[in-house]
Amino acid sequence: MQHPMTKILKRSLVAALMTAFTGAVYAADKTLDIGVSDALTGPGAVYGLPQSNAVKMAVEEINAKGGVKAGADTYKLNVIAYDDKANPTEGTNVVRKLIDRDNVKYIVGFCCSGPTSAVASFIAKEPVVMLVGNAAERSITTQGAPNLLRTRPPADFTGAAAGTFVAQKGVKNIAVIGNLDVALYAQYLEAFEREFTKAGGKVVARESFGLKDRDMTPQLTKVRSLNPEALLVIGYIEPAAFVYRQSVEMGMKLPRYGFTSGSEEQFLKVATSEQMEGVWDLRPIELTLDALGPTAKTYAENYNKKFGMAAAPSSPYAYDQVYVLKNAIEAAGTATDPVKVAAAAHQLAIPSQAVMKYLPVAGKMFDESGQAYTANGAFQWQKGKWVYVSDLPSDAMAYSAYLKSLRK
Amino acid sequence: MIELVQQIFNGLAIGAVYTLIGIGLTIVFGILGIAHFAHGVVAMSGGYVAFILIERFGIPFFAAVFLSMLAGAVFGILIERIAYRPVQNAPPINAFIIALGLTMMLDGLNLLTFGPDQIVVRTPYTHVYNWFGIVVTELRVVVLSCTAVLLLLMWLFVSRTKTGRAIRAVAQNRGAATLMGVNANAVAYVVFGLSSALGVAGGALVGAMLALAPGLGESLVIKGFAVLILGGLGSIPGAILGGLILGVSESLAAGYISSSYKDVIAFAVMIIVLLFRPEGLMGKK
Repeated sequence: MQHPMTKILKRSLVAALMTAFTGAVYAADKTLDIGVSDALTGPGAVYGLPQSNAVKMAVEEINAKGGVKAGADTYKLNVIAYDDKANPTEGTNVVRKLIDRDNVKYIVGFCCSGPTSAVASFIAKEPVVMLVGNAAERSITTQGAPNLLRTRPPADFTGAAAGTFVAQKGVKNIAVIGNLDVALYAQYLEAFEREFTKAGGKVVARESFGLKDRDMTPQLTKVRSLNPEALLVIGYIEPAAFVYRQSVEMGMKLPRYGFTSGSEEQFLKVATSEQMEGVWDLRPIELTLDALGPTAKTYAENYNKKFGMAAAPSSPYAYDQVYVLKNAIEAAGTATDPVKVAAAAHQLAIPSQAVMKYLPVAGKMFDESGQAYTANGAFQWQKGKWVYVSDLPSDAMAYSAYLKSLRK
Repeated sequence: MIELVQQIFNGLAIGAVYTLIGIGLTIVFGILGIAHFAHGVVAMSGGYVAFILIERFGIPFFAAVFLSMLAGAVFGILIERIAYRPVQNAPPINAFIIALGLTMMLDGLNLLTFGPDQIVVRTPYTHVYNWFGIVVTELRVVVLSCTAVLLLLMWLFVSRTKTGRAIRAVAQNRGAATLMGVNANAVAYVVFGLSSALGVAGGALVGAMLALAPGLGESLVIKGFAVLILGGLGSIPGAILGGLILGVSESLAAGYISSSYKDVIAFAVMIIVLLFRPEGLMGKK
C-alpha cells in the first residue's frame, strides 16, 4: 500500500516528464510517408527498379537539405516501397495496402501501364495524390481524376511531333512498317499521320510485323514497289533492326525514320553499323545527357555513385515526381490535405531540380489533365552512335487540348 | 509483276531452309517411324556451333558450316542411341515426350550459353545484285545453292552407295532387310546422322540469313512437320516441293495480306492440299 504522498509524487513526475517529452517532440521533425508502387521484380523491373531507386535518392537529398516545409511543420520524408510486379491485381493490392494500412497520402512511381491503369480507374475516390511515371498508356490521364498527375507524356505526343518534323524535312509520302497491333505504336502512328497529313504529306503504306518476326523482306518488297520517299519504322527494337538491315540488303536507298528507342548495343546484335548509318530515331529525349543540361549530368553521376550502375533513361520521371511533391506541399502549406496538395501541383511551375526537360503548358508543368510534357528529340545514327541532332517541334498546348477532348 | 517475282524469290530462300529441315524429319519418320520433334532445336544448336566457329575461331563460313554439320551428325547419333532407342518398342507417345524434353533442355542450354538475344552468323556474302529489277542478295543465292548441293549429295549417297541401298532396304521392310544381313541399328545411326547434319545446315543458313535465338527451334520444327505432311510422309522429292511451296506461300501472304497471316496462310495451303491429296503431294497412296 503506497503512501498517498508517493503516489502524488510519482504522478507529478510522470506528468512533468510527459510535458518535457511532448515539448521535445513538438520541436523535432515530423515524418511524411511516401508510398512507391513499382515493378521491383519481373520483366517490368527494368523500368520499375530504377524509378524506385530514383525516388529514394531524391528523398535522401531532400532530407539532407532539411526536409519539406509545410506551413509551420517540417517533414522528413520516408519511403515505403512495394512491388507491383507490373501486374494489375498486384498493383491494386499495393495501393490499397499503402492507403488503408500504411495511411499514406502520396503515392509515386508507377512504371508500367498494366497496374497503373487499374489504379487510375479508382484513385479519384481516394484521399491521396498519385504521381505516375513511365507508364505510357494514354487513357491514364483521360479519366478526369484531379488527384492524378503524370510526368511522362503518352507516346502519341511524340508521334505528333515526329509527323511535323518529317514533313519539315520535305518528305511528301512515307511508307510505314511497324508493330501496328500494339496500341502504343498504333497511337503514335495515328498522331504522326495527323500532323504529317496536315502538312501536306501522305502515308502510302501501313505494313505490320510481330514481335518475333525476323524476315521483313515481304513487307519491304511490297513497300518498295510503291516508291515512297521515306520509311517510318515503329516498334520493338529487334524486328525494327531487321527492317533496317533488310532494307539495305534489298538495295533500298531512302531516308529511314523510326520510333524504337534502342541502344547502340541492342541494334548491333542484328544489324551492322553501316546498315544503320543515317537512320533516325524520333523519340522522347528522356535521360539523353548530350541533349540535357548540368542538372541531368549531376543526377546521372549521383545515381551511378549511389547504385553502382548507369541511371535508366526513364528513371528521372520518378525523381522529378518527388520534387513536384515537395514543391506542391510547400506551396499548399500543408501535408495533411491531399486535395489541396493536388490542386497546388496543378499550378506548379517546372521545379528547378527537375532532371527531364519539360515543356510548360501555359507556364505550368502540368496541364488540366494532370499531364506533363517532356521534350522530344531527333536522334540520328552516325558512325556507330546515336547522335542528338535537334528537338522535335512539339506542341504541348495543342496536344493538351486533344488529350482533354478524349475524356469520357 | 516484278514485285511478285521478288516475293517468290525471297520465299524460295526461306523455303530452302524449310526443305532442309523437312527432309531431315521425313527420312527419320519414313525410315525409322520416329516423329523427331527435337529436330528443330538440334538444327538451332548446330547454328550456334557454326556461330562460335566463325566468331571465336575465325573459321571461314563454309568450313564452319561443314564442321558443325559433322558435329550435328554425331549429336544426332547420340540422340538416337540415348533418347530414342530405349523407347523403340514402347508406345510412340514416349518418344514424343522425350523429344519435348530434349527440346526444352537444349533450348535452356542455348539460353544460358548465348543469352536471349538474336545472334547473327556473319558471312562475307553481302553483295546485292540487281537482275532485271529483282533484288538478289548474294547470301540468298548462297542459301539456295548450298541447299541444292546438299540435296544432290544426299541423293547420290542414297541411290549410289551400298549404305544408301541398305537405308532403302530398311525403309521398305525392316524385317526382310535384317534377314538379308543389313544391320538395322547401324542404318538408324546413319539416318539420324544424315538428318541432323542437314538440319544443322538449315540452322546455320537461317542464322546467316536472319538470326538465331532460343525458342526458334520450335517454330522451325513445326514448319518442318508441315513440309513433311505437305510433301508426303517419307518422300524426299515431296519434302523438297513442300518446303519451297511453304516458303513461297508465307512470303506471298506476308507481302500481299499481312505478316500476321503468314503462318495462317501457310497452314491453310497445307490443309487445302491435304483435302485433295491426303497422302501429300508426292506421298504413296
